[in-house]
Order: sequence, then structure tokens, then C-alpha cells
Amino acid sequence: MKVVRQMIPLLAAIIILLLLFRIWVPTFLTPENMLDLTQQISVNTILALGMTLVILIGGIDLSVGAIVALVGTTTVYCLSAISGDTQNVFYLLLSILAGLGAAAVFGTFHGIAASKTAMPPFIITLASMLIARGCALRFNNGLPIPIGDQQTILLAVGNGRLFGVVPVPVVIMLTLFVLMALLLHRTRFGQHVYALGGNREAALYTGIPVIRVEVMVYLICSVLAGVAGMIHTSQLYSAEPGSGEMFELTAIAAVVVGGTSFTGGRGTIFGTLIGAVIIGILDKGLNQAGIHYSLQYIVKGAVILMAVYLDVRRNR
Amino acid sequence: MSVVHAAPLLRLEGITRRFGNVTALDNVSFAVEAGEIHTLLGENGAGKSTLIKILGGIYQPDAGEIWSGEKRVELRQVSDADQLKIRLIHQELSLAPNLTVAENIFLGREPVRFGLLQRGEMNRQVEALLSRLGLTEIRDVTAVVSQLSTAHQQLVEIARALSQEARVLILDEPTSSLSESEVEALFTTLRQLKAQGVGIIYISHRMEEITRLSDRITVLRDGKTVGTARTGEIKPATLIEWMVGRDIKEHFPRPPYKPGEIALKVTGLSSACVHDVSFEVRYGEVLGLSGLVGAGRTELARALFGVDRIHAGTISIDGKIVSINGPRDALRQGLVLVPEDRKHQGLITEQSVAFNITLPWLKKWIHGLRFDDRGRNEIVARTIKGFDVRLSDPEQPMRDLSGGNQQKVLVGRWMEEPPKILILDEPTRGIDVGAREDLYRLIGKLVRQGMALILISSDLDEVLNISHQVGTFQAGRLTGVYPAEQITAAQIMQKLTGEEA
Repeated sequence: MKVVRQMIPLLAAIIILLLLFRIWVPTFLTPENMLDLTQQISVNTILALGMTLVILIGGIDLSVGAIVALVGTTTVYCLSAISGDTQNVFYLLLSILAGLGAAAVFGTFHGIAASKTAMPPFIITLASMLIARGCALRFNNGLPIPIGDQQTILLAVGNGRLFGVVPVPVVIMLTLFVLMALLLHRTRFGQHVYALGGNREAALYTGIPVIRVEVMVYLICSVLAGVAGMIHTSQLYSAEPGSGEMFELTAIAAVVVGGTSFTGGRGTIFGTLIGAVIIGILDKGLNQAGIHYSLQYIVKGAVILMAVYLDVRRNR
Repeated sequence: MSVVHAAPLLRLEGITRRFGNVTALDNVSFAVEAGEIHTLLGENGAGKSTLIKILGGIYQPDAGEIWSGEKRVELRQVSDADQLKIRLIHQELSLAPNLTVAENIFLGREPVRFGLLQRGEMNRQVEALLSRLGLTEIRDVTAVVSQLSTAHQQLVEIARALSQEARVLILDEPTSSLSESEVEALFTTLRQLKAQGVGIIYISHRMEEITRLSDRITVLRDGKTVGTARTGEIKPATLIEWMVGRDIKEHFPRPPYKPGEIALKVTGLSSACVHDVSFEVRYGEVLGLSGLVGAGRTELARALFGVDRIHAGTISIDGKIVSINGPRDALRQGLVLVPEDRKHQGLITEQSVAFNITLPWLKKWIHGLRFDDRGRNEIVARTIKGFDVRLSDPEQPMRDLSGGNQQKVLVGRWMEEPPKILILDEPTRGIDVGAREDLYRLIGKLVRQGMALILISSDLDEVLNISHQVGTFQAGRLTGVYPAEQITAAQIMQKLTGEEA
């Protein structure tokens, strides 16, 4: 497969990193540690999947971190307000719908504002990052809202294990990965995304519904951020209005390390998965190797620079 | 300043320049004397721009000599031209819109002391410069350039070119965006410079301006010098003949004229740049639209295709009034526009040729999640064969194709389901002669099959010889439509430049 062949340098990087950390941390490659790794990267990967579409059409979405917090607080607030001390599947679905609905409102707004006005997406989503964060802080006076112990389904979203082995967030992540890969690489919509990112004007002249495509892209990105928010909230056992800070930047890093061009038009969903895995391995490995966190930042920054530099050079 | 008649300020001898297998300049000779305004006249593509780019050190000639006074010189780079005090003012403005007049004029060599910008000093110097040049129209040197009118921006550009001493000043269609009074101001300045002994090379289409301003006129056609004449000694009609007067009809295979029903009827159409345009095109007919650059032909096409908003008027296709609010509506009605700017409006250069060909036809080969690779390859093969696209592999990136083959893809891909009406905007601009003839042949075939075609082109020969009807465009208006066989290139040129011969 052509896509896989393009990814060989990144796949090689993963193997080298794994072996490197194996030298430092003898238990690094144990199945349990690896499962743990996949669980830890799930939130960032899901955010990065949506971010890939946005960056592919030449846009950016800085609001996803704040959306994570907003969806968490909205869902848990609604749940504790209507469900009380018992678990009720219908109420749970309703609350989740409320949370994802909030995300969808933001996504739709981003798409319309980006396609119908001259405002740059960077500024649009920077503003709504602030607005979404503010909305999240409106609930419960800005204090965390704990998830009741009886909400076993919601808690399982972030902490459960399928068949006692595979973490539920990983199942969700892989499902979304497959869905997004199909959407981008196997549908008309996917072709439209590449056309739009390659040359918006040309796409317009070819009869592609550019506005509809752009709105869909931002909508998908926000809703995926909502799903990530649900998992993150569950993992924290409470909705934290301050959570998700800087998540947007890690997601963007995964996308660009995975080889998606920042100017749009070039990149793959598979690449983004690889990018997210590389950043996850670095995070976990440096942590377990006991590297001081100040150094961790420096190393991660350097790795991102190197990956993107190599990619830019290869594609010139 | 008295002019000593020795060697001319700048002299070109036998300059030849090729691009690929296209000869842009063929053995051109040309000279400008001190204190002379010398006009370069010629159709689009005659080689004027190439010539001044050689004088500016941007292009190097393949053959020929350049003499500065008594000395032979080589202009290998922009700084060489700079050293000889050749100042070039481009057609497009190259000012920094967010900086002031003074800052623009001193851009790159700002006066500094202890590393700090001497703004007061700079403004004083610029004021002195402007009054020395007689550019008193610009009163405030601290005004931000984007706040000035286009004409004043043009004057700032001229002031910048002259802020360093100039021996030769080259202006490329400087009046295209100026009003009449602004043109007067520019001419006054140019006459002052001329009196100071500067040699001026002036490029323009406007016959009236040229005869009023210049001392000598040199006409270029197809990269060759046709002749040089003193202004008072030549009739405008002769100049026009020099510009267009070749007969190469045999190269243009005009499709036989068998007009069918009316395909497209436009009544009183107005948009931001088009005013009250009415015309009709029949099936099997080619309507050529000629006009100077910026006359509104492209804007008419954009309005018809739904890219620009229509303020007034109606569009009927097959006798029914249609409403077109975007390219998608136009395509649904069977109207296709292949835009003039291949790179920015046509191609997705990073993607493959196959991607570009199949983009309008995704519905035919992607069904839900199923990619019909065979269907896709068939569409690609049909287009490549039908439009004679030359390539090694349909999966190679679009950017690797030659301009001619790119254009064949952009036109040919629509023939998968041929439109009723096809608008081609400058379809042969920048493509080589071979691909050009291929395109003419293919277009001819489409018309014979009954397609209605609107051909927008700045190449008069092309418009005149491919079309059945020729429309002339001027300042956003369609000023007339003439049967192509009953009008000559010279007559069209007269109508476009507003000069009676």
C-alpha cells in the first residue's frame, strides 16, 4: 500500500523509540505497559483525527481543548441534575447528547464563520476557545462536578476494559480511526476535502459544494473533541472545567508529525495515528525513565521540529 | 540640458530570447536617446514584457548585444541594471501598502543613526525629492500608501524609481488605472524628466496617448521589430497595421458555421464590473470576445458562471430563464467555465492528473464507500485519449505536466458529459504552439458536434479566426458584435483603442 510505504520512516521511528526506552526502562515493552500506552494516547488521537480534516483544508481549530472541558461539564451537570442518585440509560444518553450538541453548535459556527466570512480560522477558533472555556466555568461556579459512583456506564467509557483486557477508550479510538479513514479515503466527501485543501478556488470552479464541505469538516472536528471530552471526563471521575488545556497543541503536533501539510491538501488519517503514537511513546517513555519534566518539554519540542523538518524536506 | 547626439543612452542589437521552443524575441533592435520618450507598441504577447525584463536584468538574452552609450554591457541580474541607472516601473504596483509614502520610497536604504530610523530626515528628503520631480500631487509623505488613490500610488512608484538618479526610465502601461486628470499629471512629470535628459521607454496600448506623448514609436509583432517611426511622420492606421498585419489564417481551422437554436441568451446583465450586457450564442457557434486586459470579459464569464453576483439582467438557456447563484447551478444548467488562471483557479497541482480529471465526476465512480476503480480509470482514459493529453502516468502529479497538457486536462475533463455551453477564458495563454493547434482542433470538433462556445482571448488573430461572431468589450460594456468574416484585426483594434483611422 502506498500510504504505508510513505509511513516507513515514521514506523521506523516508532520501533527505534520503543527499543530506546526498553534500554532505559526494562518493563517498557510488557503487554500491560503497552496497553496502558494505548489508553493514554486515546484522547489525543481522537482529537487529532478531527484536527487532520481541519488542517487538510488549510484551517486550524484551537478550541478543541476547551470543547473537551465544555462537553464534560455539560454532560455531567445535566446527568446529575436529571438523573439524581440512580443510573438511567435514557437520561445518560440525553446528557451525552446535550454535551455533544454543545460541541456541534461550536463546530457549525466555526465552519460557517470560516467559509462565509474573511475571518481567519485561527482567530475564529481562538475566540471560541475562550468562549467555550467560559461556558464550561459557568457550571457549578467553576468547581469540578464529580461523577456519581452509580454511573457505571459513564465511568466505564474512560476506565472499563472490554473482555477484561482492551481498554474501552482504545476500542472507541480504533473505531473512530477506521470510520475517519473510510470517510477521508473512501468517500466523495474525502475527495472534496483534498480538493478544497489543494486549491479552494479550483474546487469552487469544479462545482464542489465548498461551504458545505467546510462546515462538515469543522463540525466533525468539534464532535470528535466532544467524544474525547467524554472519555477524559470519565477518566478523571469528574467534570473539570479547567481540563483539556493545551490539548489542541498536542493534537496539532500529532497531525503534523504524522506528515499532514500545514498548508493543506496533503496528509492521511493513518499518518495522524502514527504521529499520535510517537508523541504518546515519548510522553510515557520519558516519564518512566524518570527524566525531569523540564527536559521532557525540550525533548518533545525538538522531536516535533525534527519530524516536520524531515517531512518538509522529503516533499519538496 | 543640451543633448549631444552621440551614441544613444541604451541600445539593443539583435536581441533573441527563447522560452522552450517558443521564440519570444527574434533579433530585436531598439534604442532610446537621452531626452527622448520612445514608445513600445504591440499586441499582448508581442514581446514587450520580455524586452523590458531583459532591460531590467530579470531575463538574459540568448543572443544579441546591449550597449550603454559607447560601452557594451551585460545585464546578468537586477543589480546590473540598477548600476546603469535603468529604472523599471512595473505594471503591477509593488509598494508595501501598510507603509507610508516616505517609507516606501526609502525602503531598503532607510537613513539610520545609531541603529535608529531617522524618520524626520527621511520625510524631509522625500519632500525635497517630490518637489524636484514636480510630483506635487502627493502632499503628505507620511500618508499610508493604501489610503492613496491608485494613481497616486503609481506616482509614488515613479518617485521611488527616481529617488536614485535615473538615466533610463521604463514604464509598463502606467496609465491603465489612471483617470484623465491623473494621466495629465503623469505626463507633465514625464516631460520634465525628458527635459532633464532622461531617456524614457513607454509602453501603452492607447493610441491617443502615444501620439501625444512620444517622440518615436517602435512596433513589435510576434517577437520581431516591425519598424520604428517618428511620431509626427506616421499615421495611426499604419501603426495598427504594423501591430496586427499578418495573415496566418491557415493556422486557425475555423469550424464550419452551422448555427442551430439559441443556446444562451443574456439580457441586460450587470455585475460589479459588467454593465448592461446583452448577447446570444447559438449551438454550433463560436462567439469570440476581444478587448484589452481589464475590459470586463473575464468578469462577464464569472457572472455567467455564478462566481460574481449579478445585480441586474437575465440569463436564458434553451429559451428558459435560469437562476445561477454559484458554479454548481451553472454546471447543472450545462454551462462550464474554464477560467483564465490555470494555476490559481484551475489546477490542484499537488494531486494526480487522474484526481483532477475525475473531480467533477465523483458521483460516477464513488458510490457510498465503494470506489469503482475501473469506472475511474475509464473516465481518465477517455479524457486522456479524447483530448490527446501527453503524459507518462495518470497518477503523476498535475504540476509535472506542461502548460499545454494541463490545459487539455482542464478542458477535456468536462467532455465526459459535454456541456451545452462552454466558456474558455484565455485558453491558449502561455502554452506552446503545438498544444495550441491541438486545442484549436479539439475545440473545432466540439463546435461541429453542436456545442455553443464563448472564446475569450487577447490574441486578436485567435479570436478573429476561430470565432463566427466577434464581440468587442470596452470598460465593462459589450460595444458591438460583428460577423468575423466581415471585420479585420485592424478594425477591431481601432474599436478597442478608440482611434479612428
